[in-house]
Amino acid sequence: GQSYPGKPKIVRCRSLEKETFSCWWKPGSDGGIPTNYTLFYSKDSEENIYECPDYRTSGSNSCYFDKNHTNPWTIYNITVMAMNDIGSNSSDPLLVDATSIVQPDAPVNLSLETKTSDNTMYLWAKWSPPPLADASSNSHVYHYELQLKPEEKEEWETISVGVQTQYKVSRLQAGVTYVVQVRCMLDLGEWSEWSTEQTIQIPSEWSPPAKPTIIKCRSPEKETFTCWWKPGSEGGHPTNYTLLYTKEGEEQVYECPDYRTAGPNSCYFDKKHTSFWTIYNITVRATNEMGSNISDPHYVDVTYIVQPDPPVNVTLELKKPMNRKPYLVLTWSPPPLADVRSGWLTLEYELRLKPEEGEEWETIFVGQQTQYKMFSLNPGKKYIVQIHCKPDHHGSWSEWSSEKYIQIPTEFRVKDMIVWIVVGVLSSLICLIMSWTMVLKGYRMIAFILPPVPGPKIKGIDTHLLETGKSEELLSALGCHGFPPTSDCEELLIEYLEVEDSEDQQLMPSHGNGHPSKHTKMIPKETDSDSGRGSCDSPSLLSEKCRECRSLLSTLQTKDISDVQENKGGKRSWETQCIASEQKILLCNNESTKSSTWPTAQLPNNQPPMFAYHSTVDAQKITLITTNVNTAPVLVENEEEHQYPTTETVHNNMENQREMENLRSKSDQTTMQVKLSRPNDKSPFLNPKVMDYVEVHKVRHEEPAVLLKHKENCGKTKKYTVPGTSKEYTKVSTVVDHNILVLMPDTCIQHTSVSQEPAMETSTNLQQGQAEKNKSYCLTAPSECKKETNGSEYMDPSSFLPSFK
Amino acid sequence: CHTSGMLTPNGKEYAQKIPREELTHLILKLLQAWKEPLSNFNQHHQELPDDSLSKAKQISNMVHELKAGVEKSMGIISNSLNGLTSSEAGGLSISNEANMMSDSDFLHCFRRDSNKVQSYLKILKCRIMPENSC
Repeated sequence: GQSYPGKPKIVRCRSLEKETFSCWWKPGSDGGIPTNYTLFYSKDSEENIYECPDYRTSGSNSCYFDKNHTNPWTIYNITVMAMNDIGSNSSDPLLVDATSIVQPDAPVNLSLETKTSDNTMYLWAKWSPPPLADASSNSHVYHYELQLKPEEKEEWETISVGVQTQYKVSRLQAGVTYVVQVRCMLDLGEWSEWSTEQTIQIPSEWSPPAKPTIIKCRSPEKETFTCWWKPGSEGGHPTNYTLLYTKEGEEQVYECPDYRTAGPNSCYFDKKHTSFWTIYNITVRATNEMGSNISDPHYVDVTYIVQPDPPVNVTLELKKPMNRKPYLVLTWSPPPLADVRSGWLTLEYELRLKPEEGEEWETIFVGQQTQYKMFSLNPGKKYIVQIHCKPDHHGSWSEWSSEKYIQIPTEFRVKDMIVWIVVGVLSSLICLIMSWTMVLKGYRMIAFILPPVPGPKIKGIDTHLLETGKSEELLSALGCHGFPPTSDCEELLIEYLEVEDSEDQQLMPSHGNGHPSKHTKMIPKETDSDSGRGSCDSPSLLSEKCRECRSLLSTLQTKDISDVQENKGGKRSWETQCIASEQKILLCNNESTKSSTWPTAQLPNNQPPMFAYHSTVDAQKITLITTNVNTAPVLVENEEEHQYPTTETVHNNMENQREMENLRSKSDQTTMQVKLSRPNDKSPFLNPKVMDYVEVHKVRHEEPAVLLKHKENCGKTKKYTVPGTSKEYTKVSTVVDHNILVLMPDTCIQHTSVSQEPAMETSTNLQQGQAEKNKSYCLTAPSECKKETNGSEYMDPSSFLPSFK
Repeated sequence: CHTSGMLTPNGKEYAQKIPREELTHLILKLLQAWKEPLSNFNQHHQELPDDSLSKAKQISNMVHELKAGVEKSMGIISNSLNGLTSSEAGGLSISNEANMMSDSDFLHCFRRDSNKVQSYLKILKCRIMPENSC
């Protein structure tokens, strides 16, 4: 709301020079409406009330009484009234005596200076009196007062100056910064305010100079040297430095011969003044007006302070020798001042290298040579190289030479590219071919490379036993005893060589599988007929058989037949190899006129035939081979170009000892006499203990039967037949009681007739497809398949003989 | 140093001015002067650790070999009679002096003299055969 104004209050009244004065008041509350202020005064006890003559000069809310209105020795009674529309309010009266309110302004233009006189330094302060509006009244006499203190301190030192406007301060500390203020007063009244601060620093030339220090002395070429010193921290005004030295063994003191050549604060000793192998005692003296100071002595033997300049003329050369990788040769020259030619100074060099973006330098010590060959830089990269040197004895390393950049051009040799392109194309071609063949014949290829191992599938045979059992168990299960052949089997051992005239021949005992070599051919031979050959073993039979196969054989004649024929001993063994389905056919061929008797029949000892099983259980085929030791008959195996079981002809017992060993060893390799399932493998398959043998060619998948020398129709591709075998084979239908082979009824009989043709076919096949491994050959099957149980647990194929008749 | 009495060139120019034979003699004299003090040092300082001792022995051997080598290469048969007497006479006093030196002085003097010998030899070498790294 609006109300009458608040009560104003007179703040102060003041006079600057006794002739005028001003009063200021502070307004009260506003009251909300514009307020007018009026100052009324009266003098002494007069009753006249006057109004302020001048509201403006001294600012707002002030009243200025000029000379005309100011009477000294008069008391003024001053009131301020505030007035607005609503009401008014007046302040308390103030009695003012003009003389008592005098306070001048502060002095101005304070300046400070330091001066020296009589070797003393003092501070000279100057100022001016406060300005007055009325310049005419300069007759005022002010008294002044000065105060100063060091900048960091708190306490002021006050000095009464008097009426002068300057003052000289002594007793000041050198090097200290002082703060100075001044104020004034009239003869009556109060002191003015202090003037603004002024600061000044007292220079330290007051004291003698600080001690200089010698930094270092160096010789760049071992003929002259220079020393540098550093002045003391308090650098006063002109300080003179002198360098003095003495030499070892001398008493005289010399002064530096040259202060200029090497720059300020240095001393250069030229050749004349440089002596080696003498110690210099060097000191530096600093002198100024206040005194002098001397540094600590510095002992120097020039020989040990050599620090050369960096090497110069760093050049790079790229050398490209023939037949070798290009390399870089870096050469440089010793610094120009160093006298290396006379041998006075010998320098060693060291260079450092880093790739441009790298962090760490690689430092290489080069020795005294001035070149370096770099072989190991990567083409295309940028390198920075620097060299420095040092005397070879005592001394320090120079500065590094300026950076030199190396960039090896990338040699993008066309030849390399071509090689890579060719390699890439070839490998991709090969990959393509391989994948294509895989696609087409994947399965067969795999089987070719890693033929699955056939397992025996004999009905009645404990497959588990086969899997886990040892050969003995297995064979005992089948009724074989004494397998592998022991020493007394020697006689029984029939080794037979399968002789082939192709490169695939293997010599069984002497080679491992897959080594084609010539085999001695099995020569069917009419051997002693005392052996109890089975009917099927009769040579005639065999010969008949062989005839069929002869056509097959015709293509296969070994050269060695004749040899073999002569040599052959009584034992032959032959094996048939059953190979995985795709693979070979075992051909046992009765070669020539000689027919081999069925060895089984000839076993004198009636030993149980040895059965050879494939060692692996899953052999699909099992070839049983029994070697008939004493049998003369030679089973000539038809050689084919393909794999044949290689057999050795054991000519006679003695001769065959060795072979026996081999065979034995071979047989040892397999738990049973193994027909290796590997292609191309004519595993030696010797079962020396053969009495009668049943050659099992194949166990057909469908029937867990052991196919004994079964000539089957060629229609089944997976049959191995030994064409031309004149042996009678019986297909075993089952094995009973683990030791009885049950032969199949004579389903094969009808094959016999057919056998001829297949034989023919096979022969033709043979002839045609020699390279083909997947041929199967048919063997004439024994005409009779008989079930036969034998106390000795072997099959007597002789029972089948009639079929061949 | 006990060899301080010897007048040796103190700078490159002086060393280059001296004729070859004189320089060679100087070198040999220096080497000779150190023979005895070194062996004495080795004898008296058996208490040093083994590697220092072996090093000291190695150094005396080296000095000896160097002297022999210089003699050979310079075609000087032996210390030759003129040298012998003076070195003998001087040797005694020198070795006496050497015995009185403190160890640090001894080493300091040896270091300096070996440096002298090295520098003189290098100058000689570059004078005689300037092609090799000179």
